[in-house]
Formats: sequence, structure tokens, C-alpha cells
Amino acid sequence: MSERAIELKGLTKVYGEGALAFQALKGIDLVVERGEFMMLVGPSGSGKTTLLSILGCVLKPTSGEGFLFGQPLHGRAEGDLPRLRLEYIGFIFQGHNLMPALTAEENVALPLELRGYSHKGALVEARSVLSAVGLADKLKSLPQDLSGGQRQRVSVARAVAGRPPLILADEPTASLDAESGMAVTDLLKTLSAERGHTVIVVTHDNRIFHLADRMVFIEDGLMVPPPANMSSPL
Amino acid sequence: MTARSFAQPILTRAGLLGRTRTMAMMGVKMMFFDRLKLLGTLFGVVFAVVLGNFQAGTFLALAYKNRMFVENAQVDVWVTPPGTRQFQGGKPLTDSQLNRARATPGVAWAEPLLMQAAQLQLPNGGSEPVTLIGTRAPRFAGGPWNLVKGQTQLLEQPNAVIFEDAEREKFGGLNSGSVRELAGHKVQAVGFTWGLLPFAPAYAFAEQTLAREIVRAKPDQHTFIMVGLEPGADADEVSARLQAELPDTRVMTRAVYMHEIIVYLITATQIGLSFGTSTLMGLIVGLITVALSMFSSVVDNMRAFGTLKAIGSTNLDLALLLFVQAVVYGLLGSLIGLGAVSGMVSGMRNPQLTPILLPQALTLTVVVMVGVCLVASILALLRLRKLEPAMVFR
Repeated sequence: MSERAIELKGLTKVYGEGALAFQALKGIDLVVERGEFMMLVGPSGSGKTTLLSILGCVLKPTSGEGFLFGQPLHGRAEGDLPRLRLEYIGFIFQGHNLMPALTAEENVALPLELRGYSHKGALVEARSVLSAVGLADKLKSLPQDLSGGQRQRVSVARAVAGRPPLILADEPTASLDAESGMAVTDLLKTLSAERGHTVIVVTHDNRIFHLADRMVFIEDGLMVPPPANMSSPL
Repeated sequence: MTARSFAQPILTRAGLLGRTRTMAMMGVKMMFFDRLKLLGTLFGVVFAVVLGNFQAGTFLALAYKNRMFVENAQVDVWVTPPGTRQFQGGKPLTDSQLNRARATPGVAWAEPLLMQAAQLQLPNGGSEPVTLIGTRAPRFAGGPWNLVKGQTQLLEQPNAVIFEDAEREKFGGLNSGSVRELAGHKVQAVGFTWGLLPFAPAYAFAEQTLAREIVRAKPDQHTFIMVGLEPGADADEVSARLQAELPDTRVMTRAVYMHEIIVYLITATQIGLSFGTSTLMGLIVGLITVALSMFSSVVDNMRAFGTLKAIGSTNLDLALLLFVQAVVYGLLGSLIGLGAVSGMVSGMRNPQLTPILLPQALTLTVVVMVGVCLVASILALLRLRKLEPAMVFR
């Protein structure tokens, strides 16, 4: 398998057609090495969510080339994308997006079962990962019975369970207080280092910038140099 | 790059069975999590099951009322007036036709049956109609049956009549031994039947000679001729022979006559249309309720479904989830509905018009309601098909 987790060459994305067309990405060139913990930073409407969606195989690029662990993202049939997501990617969403009807362990086991784990095997792995994120005593809790920070930790557990090589996190600290946000990102950083995940975090939260191995800035659909006042790891 | 180990792609994918199991569990948990929606959806299914079964059961009860005489009289072949399609008299049949029937090969016996309306005088001065059946001793072909008091042979006593037990109050507190005037003729109640209430005045049975006196019918005119077959004779063959022998009549085997009565009820009256429409309305209400409820559940859980798609569920997975929900709604709603309708029917157990619930209809209900719920889930599935997994990042 490729040593590079992600390789993008001149990637563009245009929404709509004709006079209503809007170019969200205007030619992104990006390489992410395996095992990197990268943060993608930019103002609202800069194109970072579009880029995350393409990397997450939930959106197809308009032009350019993209590779995920050597697998081409461009020119893929729509039906191929769910399989790519299952094989390669764990997701952490801004609003945790846990299934409200499932317990913490069932939420974590769900993608594992879709990947072919037996029900029992998925639950064993789910319990192990939930223990690793400090929720061993909340296995049977429903999301509604957990705090915001606990929910996001379940979300982290769901993303890393089964060890998918890439973790994509969309504003994971947005709905958390400062302490919980820092704790969740720190947890993600530690787990990914231990388990060998490549992580891309989209964030506005400058309190967690220092955890990144590298930061990539995006503005108006293009990668841009870091702001002059930025003192984070680059 | 250091020698650290990296996470590898997960190269398995659950088979159809595993995905079905996972999605089934998800679907059921989602259903029971939103209990208000569950109750609303089940209400739709239960409503459809109760209305549908009640209407169908009432139709079956009406059908039974119309054919009960043919079904219960121990008669193999019926010779009826020409054009007969119901259990109803027409142009009287004659002694000559009776004798020709008796002489037809394969016929063991042929008996005349008299059926005519008569008014029963009540002690309070009023009157009630009955359908008087004149049946001939000693065979008493054509009834009475379902006796709850007295015996058929008591009809051989002078002026003896057997009435319907369910109508005793209506007939002025009629008891065994009570004397009444029937069409101006004094008769005595010697027994009672149970449930012999056609879609017309209740049957009352008298020996044929007495019946003829009561309704002043000529001795050589008969409403029907009932035929019993010789052992081993084929009913269809004998029926065809009788038809050839008696061209001015309509000859039917018991099975053909019962079928003809039902066909007439469905095609020549508004009853079939009326009950069919009500049953269909019930199904449509169930379909719409389930469809809207499942659709609204999908809309309410759009983010959850988007997340499922984002983490790798396919449209097939989500279809499995919805279909499992539909099957559970169908099964659960059918069972509750059937329980309710069975309770209602046993609560109104009387011979007037109690719906008939056939075991086949109960099985059919479950199959139909599961089918209805599956069709109803298509609307929700169409919405889910359009759902972009990228919505989870917005």
C-alpha cells in the first residue's frame, strides 16, 4: 500500500451549473503522509468542508486527481464510495451524530458490523475502545444520558474502532466547552499515535492548534500560506 | 518514515445476512425509541385490520345468512324455479316435475319443500313475519336443524311449529307449548332452533300438510324439489340428467347453488361493492398512515440516516432497515388488530349478524398488512435514496 495516505493534484469542485455555478475548490494540491495528525484551517465558506467531504468519499471532485492510500478518488462510480468509506475511514462529526436509539457500545459496534465483524466480535472491540476513551462505565448508556464531552468521546471511539487507516474529524470541539474540547482532541491524538491512524481535523479552534503535526490553511478554495501572526506547528 | 505500524484498510464487508441482522436491529431499536410515532403507526395498522376484518366478517356473515339453508339442509341436488340465483321461491314447481325427478337414474329420493312468508299474531295485537318452511314427514329433508329445544319428530303432532329461539322475545315471549295464530291458523310452539335467521324473517318449520293449510298453498305446487342421491352417484352427473329431464327448472348441486348465491350477492347487489369499498378504505387509511409515519420518521432522523450513509451503509442497507420496520409494523399491528377484532366479535356473539372471522382471513390479514406496510415504506425509501451522505458535514 502507498506510503502516502492522501495525494491530491489540482483538485476542483464546482457546485451548480451555468450562471449559478460556484467553484468551492479551485485546484488543491496536497500530500498527507501516513500517520500524520493534520489540521485543516480556514474561515467559513473557504472550502474546507468540501475538501473534507471529498476526502471522506461522500462527495466526488469535479476535476483533478485524488488518491486515498493509492486508491483513486476521481472517476469512481457512486456505488464504490460506501465501500471505500468502510475500508479506509472513520468519521468524527461536529455534532457527534450518534444513533439516539443505540447504546454507546452499540453505536461503536455499528460500523464494525457493517465491516463484517460478528455481532459479538464488534461488541468486544467496541467495549475495548470505549474503555480506552474512559467510558468503560457507560457502555449501556444511551447518547441522551451522556454529557457532550462523553458523546464526543463515544464518537471518537466509533471512528477509531476497527482501526481504519484514516480518521476525518469535522470541528470535533465545536459543541464542547474548552476543557472537554481539549480533552477530546488530546485523546484523539494519543489514540491515533498508538494505533497508527492518519488524522485530518477541520477546526476553527486555535486552542487545539498546538496538537497538530502540521496545519494546512485554505481560503477561497485555495491552499494559502499561514497567517503572519500564526505561531503553531507548520 | 519511522518503523511505526500504521492502521491498515479493513478489507472485509458484511454479507447480506450480517447486514440484514445489523439493519434489522437498528430498525427495531429506532422504532421502539420513538414510542409516540410507534403508537401512531400501529394505530393506523390496527385501524385497517379492525375495519377490514369487521367489514369482511360482516360480509361473510351476510353471505352465510343467504346460503345457510342450502348449506345445512341435507340435500345433494336442488331443483329450483327457472332463473333462480338465490334461496328464494319463484314459479311454483309441480307434482309432475317431482315425479319425473324421482324417476331419474341416480336419484334415491326427491321431496318437495314449501317456503312462504306468513304473519305471526302476537299477544299484544301486533304481528311479526316468519318464513314458514313446510318440510315433509317422515324424512324432514330441509330441516329444521340446530335445535336447542324439542325434536324434529314433534312436528308430526297436530298444529306443531318449531320457531327460532333468538326471536322468542320478539314473538311475544314465546315458550315451548305457547299457542299463537300463524296466518290465522292456531299453532303451538314445540321446539326452537338457534341462529336460523336468514337475511329475511326467521325460519319457522311445520310439517308440509300443516304448512300448506296455513299459507293456503295448493298441494301440487312446491317452492323447491330436494333430491338425495343413490350411494356412489355423482352429483354433477345426476344434476345434468335432472336438468335434461326438467328443462323448465334450474337444477343445481349443493355446491353450485351455494356458489351461485355468493356470486349473486357480490355481482347483483350493492352489498359486495359496499363492503369491498369499506375494506379498501381501511387498507388505504392504513397505507397512508404507515407511509406518512415512516416518511416523517425518516425526515426526523435525517441526520442519523445521513451518518449511516457516511459511515458506509448503502441504499440497500437502509432499504433493509425500512423493510424490517415495515414487517414489524405489519406483524405487530395485525396481531393487535386481530386481537381487538376477535374480542369485539366474541363480545357481540348473537345470531343476528355476528361477523365471521375465518382462520384463512386472519392469515390473509397478516400477509396483506405486511404487504401494505412494505408498500408504505417505499415513500420513505425514495426520500432516503436521495439523501446525500455529505449532509453530515454541513
